[in-house]
Amino acid sequence: MPFNGKSGKFNASINTVEIGCGEKAIKIGGENVYPFYTFDAPIENAPKIGVMISDLGLENEPAGVKAYYEGCSSFAEIAQKAAAMPGADFVCLKLEGADPNGENKSTEECMTVLKEVVDAIDVPLVVYGCKNVTKDAELLTKAAEVAQGKNVLILAAKEENYKGIGAAAGLAYNQKVGAESAVDINLAKQLNVLISQLGVAPANVVMNVGTAAVGYGFEYVVSTMDRVKAAALSQGDAQLQMPIITPVADEAWSTKEAIASEEDMPEWGDQEARGIGMEVSTAASVLASGSNAVILKHPTSVATISALIKELV
Amino acid sequence: MAKFVVIGERLSTTAPSVNKAFTSRDPEPIIQRAKQQLDAGATYLDVNIGPAENDGPDLMKWAVQLLQSEFDNVPLALDTANKAAIEAGISVYNRAKGKPIVNSADAAGRIEYIDLAAANDAIVIALCNGEGIAKDNDERMMYCQTMLERGMEHGMDPSDLWFDPLFLVIKGMQDKQMQILECIKMISDMELNSTGGLSNNSNGMPKHIRPIMDSAMVAMAMMCGLTSAIVNPNDLRLMETIKSCDIIKNNNLYADSYLEI
Repeated sequence: MPFNGKSGKFNASINTVEIGCGEKAIKIGGENVYPFYTFDAPIENAPKIGVMISDLGLENEPAGVKAYYEGCSSFAEIAQKAAAMPGADFVCLKLEGADPNGENKSTEECMTVLKEVVDAIDVPLVVYGCKNVTKDAELLTKAAEVAQGKNVLILAAKEENYKGIGAAAGLAYNQKVGAESAVDINLAKQLNVLISQLGVAPANVVMNVGTAAVGYGFEYVVSTMDRVKAAALSQGDAQLQMPIITPVADEAWSTKEAIASEEDMPEWGDQEARGIGMEVSTAASVLASGSNAVILKHPTSVATISALIKELV
Repeated sequence: MAKFVVIGERLSTTAPSVNKAFTSRDPEPIIQRAKQQLDAGATYLDVNIGPAENDGPDLMKWAVQLLQSEFDNVPLALDTANKAAIEAGISVYNRAKGKPIVNSADAAGRIEYIDLAAANDAIVIALCNGEGIAKDNDERMMYCQTMLERGMEHGMDPSDLWFDPLFLVIKGMQDKQMQILECIKMISDMELNSTGGLSNNSNGMPKHIRPIMDSAMVAMAMMCGLTSAIVNPNDLRLMETIKSCDIIKNNNLYADSYLEI
């Protein structure tokens, strides 16, 4: 009998979500095959890479990151430099200074930085909160308003604060809503249901299903992403067909491999190279598991992952 | 596994109001019933226009176009003994949301409905009987085999034949119920799809009993591998049971709001 190759493409597909405006707007999702299965069907929108910058500036960054931004004296310049990083598709502004357990900056202060960044760049922007659910409820609701007309992605609405953030970003100001859960597939779906019950169109939602750095319970991340994509594609589950974005930088650069100094761990070699290693391997792994976008910070990581994606898609 | 497919049964000429609406081409009652069923979670809608000997093709075209334009190309089961009407319905059918279902073929006088489905790349409901009700599962499975071969000879994918074991009424044929469930198991073991008019089991029972009996039947049948049923989706207890069984069978990923979606 002759061999008949059968395509593994699905009837269902991941939603296509557009972030940003104008020529540099990006589209993520849209595929009807598993990650990088371009032999089954073409993947129209290759995974995208964002560069994370912080409202706390560059002080705590590794030397290679500081060197890249050398000469930048304002948030506007840092954002422009991030947008110009080779391999980058978008910028992610992290408002970590708002954290009540850290600098505890006021929402107004943070909005000044956001406005500066919004006005400085023409690439798509992701606004990332401070991870405190109460503060984020106020901060990200305001951010959706301040970035009006820019079609930004607000990261993120969680189970505890999805109503305010979802309504502001998804309904009032027409931005994209990030739905964040912590490596829990049932909660990922539930949050999408709740956000859609608010009236937010599924095409305006992007999931952050949570991550960890490789080696830190990463099996759970892989299994969550695998099962999300399997349910979305093979079972046609409309409540899981939102594309996935994964902020990698924070996780990778806070591992002991990235933090331990060379004096303490001489046998581990160059500290910055270790951090890049953690960032690159985590990013490559979440992309292989189904992430449609990753957020990184080191120029070497961005270049490496960009080359990987170009080779595979 | 895919989710259980609910085919809504409420657009049928056996209901006097629907019959009247079909005859007079009155869209309102049809749209209203269709909407109720879709809101309740039906995937397919069965469109039973009866024998429709006079104006079958015209009526089926009208119904298909009415429903698909009103409800975003909702997939439909075309249910009539009038072959020309089914063909006419398929000729105007939009497949964006799923293939049309031909309802139905059997292993005797209506076997040509399989050929019709094959020629039109449709799904067909294949009743496991010949002349009269099969006496046992040997006979049912013989019919199943005959129809499967017929479909495959005509180039059909086996998954497009949905075998109907014929649910029997409990009041009268109580001793045959386990046989039907075993038949579903045999069909499922062959990795074939199945469906049927499940609520026939509770025919003649008091109104308040029927949802309970139907729910028990659908749970047991899904355990045996039933992949679809032609039912009343506005029976809340039945739909909650189906959704819960889909969760237990891992056909659908659990979320706290699973009953609402």
